[in-house]
Amino acid sequence: MAGPANLAGQAITAGIDCGSAACKGVLMRGGAIIAKAVRPTGWNPRETAEGLLRELLLQGGLAGEAAASSGEPLPLPSPDKEALEQAGITVVATGYGRVAIPFAARTVTEITCHSRGAEYLLPGVGTVIDIGGQDSKAISLHNGKVLAFQMNDKCAAGTGRFLEMSAARMGVTLAELDGLLQSGESCRLSSMCAVFADSEIVSLLAAGKSRQEVAGGVIDAVAGRAAALAARVEVRPPLLLTGGLGELEGLRKALAAQLSCRVETSPLSRFAGAIGAALS
Amino acid sequence: MLEMRKELPEIFDSFAEARQKGFLAMKKIKEEGKGVVGQFCTYTPLEIFMAAGLVNVGLCSTSDETIAEAEKVLPGNLCPLIKSSYGFAITDKCPYMYFSDLVVGETTCDGKIKMYELLAQIKNLHILELPRKQNTEEAFALWRAEIIRLKERVEKDFGVTITDDMLKEAIRKRNVERRLLKEIYELSAMTPPPVSGLKQLQILFGSQFKFDWDEKVAELQQAIDSIKAAYAAGERPISDKAPRILITGCPMGGVTEKVVKVIEEAGAVVVVYENCTGAKQMDRQCQEEGDPISNIARHYLQIGCAVMTPDTNRLELLDRLCEQFKVDGVVEMTLQSCHPYSIEAYTIKTHLQKKGIPYLHLETDYSTADIGQLATRAGAFLEML
Repeated sequence: MAGPANLAGQAITAGIDCGSAACKGVLMRGGAIIAKAVRPTGWNPRETAEGLLRELLLQGGLAGEAAASSGEPLPLPSPDKEALEQAGITVVATGYGRVAIPFAARTVTEITCHSRGAEYLLPGVGTVIDIGGQDSKAISLHNGKVLAFQMNDKCAAGTGRFLEMSAARMGVTLAELDGLLQSGESCRLSSMCAVFADSEIVSLLAAGKSRQEVAGGVIDAVAGRAAALAARVEVRPPLLLTGGLGELEGLRKALAAQLSCRVETSPLSRFAGAIGAALS
Repeated sequence: MLEMRKELPEIFDSFAEARQKGFLAMKKIKEEGKGVVGQFCTYTPLEIFMAAGLVNVGLCSTSDETIAEAEKVLPGNLCPLIKSSYGFAITDKCPYMYFSDLVVGETTCDGKIKMYELLAQIKNLHILELPRKQNTEEAFALWRAEIIRLKERVEKDFGVTITDDMLKEAIRKRNVERRLLKEIYELSAMTPPPVSGLKQLQILFGSQFKFDWDEKVAELQQAIDSIKAAYAAGERPISDKAPRILITGCPMGGVTEKVVKVIEEAGAVVVVYENCTGAKQMDRQCQEEGDPISNIARHYLQIGCAVMTPDTNRLELLDRLCEQFKVDGVVEMTLQSCHPYSIEAYTIKTHLQKKGIPYLHLETDYSTADIGQLATRAGAFLEML
């Protein structure tokens, strides 16, 4: 049976990075990204990943009308390994939800995927920092291969969840939080525990600190945790901040200040894990 | 009973279930009027108890069942081994603790020392003062005196006299055990190893809950023969492509088997354990000729452990095992809040880095909540090899 991959002469891989907060996916053909999508993971990672794959295939013209008119087999609406295989599509899953994706041909850990994805986005990258929804990681790598890694995943301090929660406490979105950081003001947060920091934020705001200052303190706390993690794997430039938080300019600045090292990002930073999976 | 041949799976089960099955055996031993000594640490010279005809049993707990109870007294940020052991003692939930006529503790880490003070309020307890240096005359003299003090305590508590000949015989018997257990783990120096790391651990851990010496020795010999025979017959339960892992760090067994499981489920095989459950206590033989007290003192004092400073013997054994077992990577398991091992982890990491041996440090406790996180770390480590 001639699948789309055979027609194009190149294999198609879908990388799905199912994290605790968001599920990211890319579709790649011959080393190029032909579709990308992201959605909240929600309570059912399997269904979310399924919907995400459907979206990717539609975007990539491999399902729906475009595919149907070319007479290609439709791997959807119920993705299973066999149908996908027949269509010449390999799905590789990573992230905490990777084991919940039954149609994945294989699973690879997010450490390896973030490294491969980072090397794709920034060839020659030496250090990767990823601040995820429920964990942070620092990876030292060479040619996309992991040399050492550190993860902080037993406590919410310094994670994306911590940042999200702090933003909510101040009544702003993450993007607005980034805006508050423009002023460069900051006050010290003494608590490293996410739960206690939450109440500290309330006290600081009640004591008359501005949202700008508190936002600065929150970002410094997150950057400090990430920098300590990175120091354990030895920081070598160039350093790429992967994951959704790569979009926060204020966080990049704070990290750069803590690490005394330029912090790079990419418009596709959020997809680093998914890209790495698609390349695995 | 010795002529009863067991098949390989049955032998594995026999060791894996030894701790549970041992409860009944222990009850019987007590009913027969035998004395029981419970100990915590690999530094405890078991020869003293064997010489006195007593039964000894390891009391280090390996489950989180009683931690909540222990935390009514002990701080939360204390190592789970200490909390759990104390918890089992105060709740009377561990039959071994319950049946111990004498409990022997030792001055290893701060957490244990202070926990023993509390334990002494409810159990008949003896504390061995373990030096923290291994190569000074003063350390040896202190440790030798401590062995004599333990011997005298046992003599007094159990109304026995321990002669040099009895001690020599005990040394000989312990050496037989050490040799057999070493032979078992050394089988995994072969490529591929004949048993998984989980099975090896279960044998090493389970053997301490076999209380009849003759039976234990016969069963160990049987295990060796059966494993060898199966291997010779071409059985290869482990792929020769599986990366070979050495596990080092804190004592293992019970719930911490989870660390071995995540490593082996990710496609690697654990070939050797450089910890209290493994090579540490089996690696060397105790000298049999000469003054038995001095021999025992010298033997035990040289065990490598993070409570010693500097801990050069641990590095020496680690290097030797890495080479002998052709390891591809070292995984260190430390228990949360175990300061000696957690700090020494940095020394181990840099030591192995110089030798180009990949190293992963996993910190865990007695819960099962972190299996996902452990699996991700172990998986990433293997992908890196």
